[in-house]
Amino acid sequence: MNTIVTITVVASSERTAEDAIEDAFLTIGDIEKRADFYSPESEITSINKSAGVSDVKVSPDILSLIGKALSVSEKTEGAFDITIGPVTLLYDFHTKQKPEYDALRKTLPLVNYRNVVINKNDSTVYLRKPGMMIDPGGISKGYAADRATDVLKHHGISSGIVAIAGDIRAFGLKPDGRPWKIGIRNSRATGTEDDIMATMELTDAAVSTSGDYERFFISDGIRYHHVLSPMTGRPAGMCRSVTVIAPEGYLADSFSTGIFILGPEKGLRILETSGYGGVIVDNQGKVRITPGLRGKIEFQRNP
Amino acid sequence: MNFREILKFTTVADRVLFSILILLSLLGLIFVRSLIPGGNSVEIDVDGNLEYVLPLDEEKTVPVQGPQGTTLVEIRNHRVRVVESPCQNKLCIQQGWVEHGVIACLPNKVLITVGKNGKRSSEPDAVTE
Amino acid sequence: MQSPNRYQIALLSAYALALHGFESMFPSPVPWLRLGLANIVTLITLLLYGLRAAVTVTLIRVVLASILNGTFLGPAFLLSLGGGILSTLSMGFFASLTPRLFSATGLSLIGALFHNGAQLLLAYALFIQRIEAVLLITPLIVLLGTLTGTINGIVSELIIKNLKKSGEKIQNVDT
Repeated sequence: MNTIVTITVVASSERTAEDAIEDAFLTIGDIEKRADFYSPESEITSINKSAGVSDVKVSPDILSLIGKALSVSEKTEGAFDITIGPVTLLYDFHTKQKPEYDALRKTLPLVNYRNVVINKNDSTVYLRKPGMMIDPGGISKGYAADRATDVLKHHGISSGIVAIAGDIRAFGLKPDGRPWKIGIRNSRATGTEDDIMATMELTDAAVSTSGDYERFFISDGIRYHHVLSPMTGRPAGMCRSVTVIAPEGYLADSFSTGIFILGPEKGLRILETSGYGGVIVDNQGKVRITPGLRGKIEFQRNP
Repeated sequence: MNFREILKFTTVADRVLFSILILLSLLGLIFVRSLIPGGNSVEIDVDGNLEYVLPLDEEKTVPVQGPQGTTLVEIRNHRVRVVESPCQNKLCIQQGWVEHGVIACLPNKVLITVGKNGKRSSEPDAVTE
Repeated sequence: MQSPNRYQIALLSAYALALHGFESMFPSPVPWLRLGLANIVTLITLLLYGLRAAVTVTLIRVVLASILNGTFLGPAFLLSLGGGILSTLSMGFFASLTPRLFSATGLSLIGALFHNGAQLLLAYALFIQRIEAVLLITPLIVLLGTLTGTINGIVSELIIKNLKKSGEKIQNVDT
């Protein structure tokens, strides 16, 4: 994974800070390696290779990651589903490759998180159908941010922010006593990197965004992006971007994907029942936020 | 029919009540608005859902879709007003330019609030995308 | 005070409905201003025939008007119903509890105040849910309610005086 990771901490000495950050980076690198969908050596790949054949012994991190992913699938009516793997492979955002109808039709039955069997006692994972594949891309970065935060706290760091690409986990307060300020990128940015749609101040929370602008190509006037619906196998079309604020990174990461797929109406309802915050830009560019975010979020310009 | 005749058939209590109501509402008119803080952003709710949050310092005209039709909201010179509304009474348009506080169009369920949305100063510490 | 027969109730309701419709027909000069002309009929009914009749006439007027303009059971209907009923009850309450303290004008003021109060509360509960919005609009609503309430009260007073002077009852058309 080529992701930019930034870690900022508040510590009593530079030494403490450096040690903690180094350890956190190692943890993130370790999780990324184990969870890499495209690497032939990753634990995820060994699970995928044994689909329909046998269960595979995995590390505690991968076991925990998959367990959390399945619980989010339950809460998002299956819209977030890590077994989207075979569909992911049908798209290539560099070569602008998209699947034929036939290929999609054959692949879709393989997508069902209910066919993932995890055994916590033996630390094993089994995929029931041959051809099934786990693609943990929609949750692994958020999960890694959580684990990095644990590591920082373990080093005695009381305040910091971990950002793995757009998946952010913040805790404690800044030296000036203020919470961390998080920006949401404009879903139709015109090139400049710091094109911010809104900012909010928060702490002890995680923020993630799923957007149709991260990896995409346009073919015949249709935008093909990387947030694929497990129901249709095609890019979900009801939102431009979904930002979720949740207590933990894995929740923010996976819910932002799931709600992007479910669309604004259902998405807002699920966020409200879960008690998470959300900023949803629908496919018309209209912005909706969960009531709890009112007054806490500051919009920079009209998105 | 003249004023003295009217005074004759009103009671003292009538006149006291009338004076109190007029006095209170005039005081309210003068002071309530200043109690409500101004802000730098405009929040537009439709039917209880926040649908737009716009900066107050950017000129913009927004068509807001309510159950009865389109309420046209204009932001200019740090003020906001309703230009067009499908409602019957046009209360919202009559309120004119508003710098702080609220414009409400009950029939079309549109609520425009000038919000106290913090300072938009410092750079964010991290950006989610 | 006499108790009204059903024809009188029907006639009064028709007057109220007509005034209600008349008022909503043309845009008033100041758009904030709802004259509440129907309240004249409510008040006259209350003073001539009592609270029960006044409530009945109000109910009939609100329900029929909402059916005619297609808002029956909608939010506008709820506002209209809440305002109408509370205003009638409040006028009835003060009329019987403190007779002679207020004239028709004072009662009309009370009615207008409670009408506005009920509508603001309902609007807050049903749609706005932002207390600052309600607070902001309250003084203006109360001020206009006081002015129109006074006018309606005086008109009611004059009509009642005329009715009593000429010894007429409100006639029903049935012969």
